[in-house]
Amino acid sequence: MSMVIPAPISSTCIPVLPKRGQISWFEIVLLVMSFGLVVSGVAPSLQDVILLSFLFAGLGLAWNIAGGYAGLISFGHSAFFGVGAYTSTILLLRYDISPWIGIWAGAVIAGLFGAALALICARLRGPFFILSTLAFAEVVRIGALNWVSLTGGPEGLSIPPMASLVGMVFASKTTYAALMLGYLVFVYAITKGLEASRFGYYLFAIRDNEDAAGAAGVNPLLGRTAVMALSAALTGVGGSLFAQYFLYLDPTYVISPELSFQFALLPAVGGLATAIGPVLGSFLITPLSELLRSHLGNAAAGLHLVIYSFGLMVVMLYFPAGLAGALNKLTHWRPFR
Amino acid sequence: MSALLEVRNVSRAFRTTLAVNDVSFAVQPGELLGLIGPNGAGKSTLFNLIAGVLPPSSGEILFDGKPVTGWKSHDIARVGIARTFQIPKPYRQLSVVENVMLSAFLREKSIAGAHKLAEATLADIGLADYAGLPANLLTVGLLKRLEVARALAMQPKLVLFDEIMAGLTPTEVGAMTRLVAELPARGITVIWVEHVLYAIMKTATRMIVINRGRQIAEGTPAMMARDPAVVKAYLGEEMILA
Repeated sequence: MSMVIPAPISSTCIPVLPKRGQISWFEIVLLVMSFGLVVSGVAPSLQDVILLSFLFAGLGLAWNIAGGYAGLISFGHSAFFGVGAYTSTILLLRYDISPWIGIWAGAVIAGLFGAALALICARLRGPFFILSTLAFAEVVRIGALNWVSLTGGPEGLSIPPMASLVGMVFASKTTYAALMLGYLVFVYAITKGLEASRFGYYLFAIRDNEDAAGAAGVNPLLGRTAVMALSAALTGVGGSLFAQYFLYLDPTYVISPELSFQFALLPAVGGLATAIGPVLGSFLITPLSELLRSHLGNAAAGLHLVIYSFGLMVVMLYFPAGLAGALNKLTHWRPFR
Repeated sequence: MSALLEVRNVSRAFRTTLAVNDVSFAVQPGELLGLIGPNGAGKSTLFNLIAGVLPPSSGEILFDGKPVTGWKSHDIARVGIARTFQIPKPYRQLSVVENVMLSAFLREKSIAGAHKLAEATLADIGLADYAGLPANLLTVGLLKRLEVARALAMQPKLVLFDEIMAGLTPTEVGAMTRLVAELPARGITVIWVEHVLYAIMKTATRMIVINRGRQIAEGTPAMMARDPAVVKAYLGEEMILA
């Protein structure tokens, strides 16, 4: 009963996807390059693109924790993004609480929203689950639009543009870029820890076969609720950072299906259920969409969306395992041994 | 003598059909109980009732003297009841050893500890060579053995085997039969549903036969082969039974 198992060809290549619980050279190089971009002093217009790429990589990673690892495909994550943004902003404007604290309050409340979504959708699977997440975010958005006394309704909320460390408002885009990179590294570290943990294995089990997971003593509902809360909380942190950068938010700006799709798209393009996937996805797509919009947005209205969508179709058709999967194939690394 | 598992007057209805109809039996520690019956007799439903996949419509189930009626499957697993699935349910995107690790976590909380227990279990069952392969590459026969490995890695007090021989070659059936026969000596009580009758007739210490949701006979394998009700339920299969 023996079988020939191909040995990994590992001497010359750089594995893109490391073994569970390990860090690859590729990841370290990417981190050093990202840090280099922050301190290198590129033009402010490029800094915009860079810091948004960092922020969205973090948001894609947060989505991937539920959507990739646990298979809970959500098109409602902008609700958590909005809840995080609103919580820290309202605490700042009303109660003069520093966003450095407000961010964590936002994470907790977004996490509670995530747990609520998981419990509401406890019995729903597949497309029914996905549609419910979409509806959930719409409910949150409409709630925010109409609860004018709390959220300012459609007029939105503005954070005074006065640079201050306590207020988390900075004059220099370099500081914002460092902040966003910090967020990216934070969510990345949590993802890597999850991959190598027992809880991470429980999530794989729930995703791959819920009946078998139950028979092995894993409580699927508890797992789904916990992972949705974690994913939502981390998305909420991203929402607060977004608010601190743009200094303005209104319900339709921070809670929208387009934004929710964007969170899901980055890991889908980069590689689902991998740590590096959402980062690669964001580093490709965020600059692409920003540059296309700024260069073509005025010349031919809508043309940038056509090119953007076409690019997405190419990636989805020819790299079904995402960019991470494609790069991994290039390096001839065997995913098992 | 206190029973490890006691099933008292358990019934389960699907709309108007009684899949399991007032079944009662007890399993003593160290027994290897064979549960047979024709297709659609209610064997798998009975397993699902014990394993907590479905709650019974009426009746009571006791494990180690405690009522566990209507408990969820993950709570049932935690008191020490493992089960296999008739149609294998692997975690397809995980490797074989990771599949088993998820069961081993019940006893070994650390990743390293669970990995060790999983590898030992795979070696026990002859799957060690496949440890690193993704589960979605396995053939049906190997998946059946993976099911058994996952159940045993939980180090249960009671294991429910649901047709673990289907799809195995005669040599593999022999090896698996020997493995199952060893379990009571290792402190694992077995309830075994099987269609490969020659394997179960040889191994079981006691048999229960059900048909149309009702228990129709109980006794040693030799008694079952002579029981007219059993022979009638298995119309035309008496040759195999004998």
